[in-house]
Amino acid sequence: MTGRRWIVVAFAASVSGLAAAASLDLGRLFDVGRDLRTATAGVDEPEEIAVGREVAGRTLGAAPLVPDPELQAYVNRVGRWIALQSERPDLPWHFGVIDTASINAFAAPGGYVLITRGLYESLSSEAQLAGVLGHEIGHIVQRHHIKVMQQSAAVSAGARAIQRSDRGVLANNLIGTGAEVMARGLDKSAEFEADRIGVVLAARAGYSPYGLVEVLHILAARSADDASLALLFKTHPAPGERLTQLGDALAPRVAALPAGKEPALRPVDPKTPPPVAAKPAAAEGARALQQEEGGTTIPSGASPLPGGGGGILRGIFGR
Amino acid sequence: MILPHRALPLFRLALAAAMLAGASATAQQVTLERDSPLYAEPRLDASQVAQLKTGATGEVTGKQGAWLNLRTAGGSGWLFSFNVRFPSQQTGTSDSGTGSAAGRLFGSPRGVSVTSTIGIRGLGEEDLKEASFNAGQMKLLDGYAVTKEAAERDARAAGFAPVSVDYLDAKK
Repeated sequence: MTGRRWIVVAFAASVSGLAAAASLDLGRLFDVGRDLRTATAGVDEPEEIAVGREVAGRTLGAAPLVPDPELQAYVNRVGRWIALQSERPDLPWHFGVIDTASINAFAAPGGYVLITRGLYESLSSEAQLAGVLGHEIGHIVQRHHIKVMQQSAAVSAGARAIQRSDRGVLANNLIGTGAEVMARGLDKSAEFEADRIGVVLAARAGYSPYGLVEVLHILAARSADDASLALLFKTHPAPGERLTQLGDALAPRVAALPAGKEPALRPVDPKTPPPVAAKPAAAEGARALQQEEGGTTIPSGASPLPGGGGGILRGIFGR
Repeated sequence: MILPHRALPLFRLALAAAMLAGASATAQQVTLERDSPLYAEPRLDASQVAQLKTGATGEVTGKQGAWLNLRTAGGSGWLFSFNVRFPSQQTGTSDSGTGSAAGRLFGSPRGVSVTSTIGIRGLGEEDLKEASFNAGQMKLLDGYAVTKEAAERDARAAGFAPVSVDYLDAKK
């Protein structure tokens, strides 16, 4: 054990016995202790990237990338440009659109951002995409998920005492089973913070700052029992509450913020088949079936004019 | 449709008008989430047309940045978009028709809506818990990544340049 690690252990022990146990565990897992700052943070950048890569890979195991290389490259160009406006421009940023009808977006530590096709196809401008990606980039820049992982690792430290020698088991304890960390909610305050960061990063990149506001309006107008939003609504504060918080933070700055650009969004290649279901859910699937029965995909090239009430948001926030 | 270049702005205006006119009056209606002044122009220092109360309704006739143009009983003017809510779309459990409307609702302007896929609830908590690492997909993801130099070159070619904007403070 190096001298520095002794300092870490002594520091942690002075906080509490539990914290000391967690620090020891993380120390063994990641060989921390390179300096006091990163050691007390528990996970340094290379390790954060390794954890995020594992989580992203598992998420892709649940929902693969949309088979549209041009779309994926486009989202990477937009996302990387926005990430360049953050404090962590040199992370190995990866962006992907995953092939599920669910409406959601995910940030894994170290620079991995995945947006679902369901959310992507709900958007109508690149500024809206910039707001969504900016929100996820905000989680990564602020290390929100790593902090949550460390907290849950600390809680279960005692129970894991007998497994300390097994790195694989410990990694699983930090990340959890599969990609369940992506289904765990963060604190409300972390979501509000990511919203504020998302708006600013989009604006810094030259987009309208209000793309994310429009997306929140779109989400707020979706029914609370919409199956495609179940996970998003479970893990995030209500969109209306996010609008209120973001509005309060934005209001004093509205006059000074640049107008920004609102380019058209690149559509998913119309030849791309609809998402393949991992498996239909029994109860939820039946309900969704009932809801969607008779629901048909509007043929490509059909009039974009809203036929019903629902078109209004697209009319206002669309091109 | 192919239009002469000069006709495009006019066409867009007509399209926007048609979109607004095409939606029913109730659908365009928004409800105030909090008491808010209605401004004559989309600026905080513009003169106030009216002071609207929480629960008041208005009809949206346009947007500009953070602002919505509203027609209300108290007059027409501009309001912060954060201060209103659009009507919630009800997905009825027995009326199949409303479900399809929700499916069409926010599809891309090209009209392809993945949410109308029958019987699929998409990516849920259980799928994520049970997921295992997909090396092939990660290889694809790596292949799509772009360098920061390439991202910057493409953004600048599209007319983008970094803008200095301070982070927002949370409301105390």
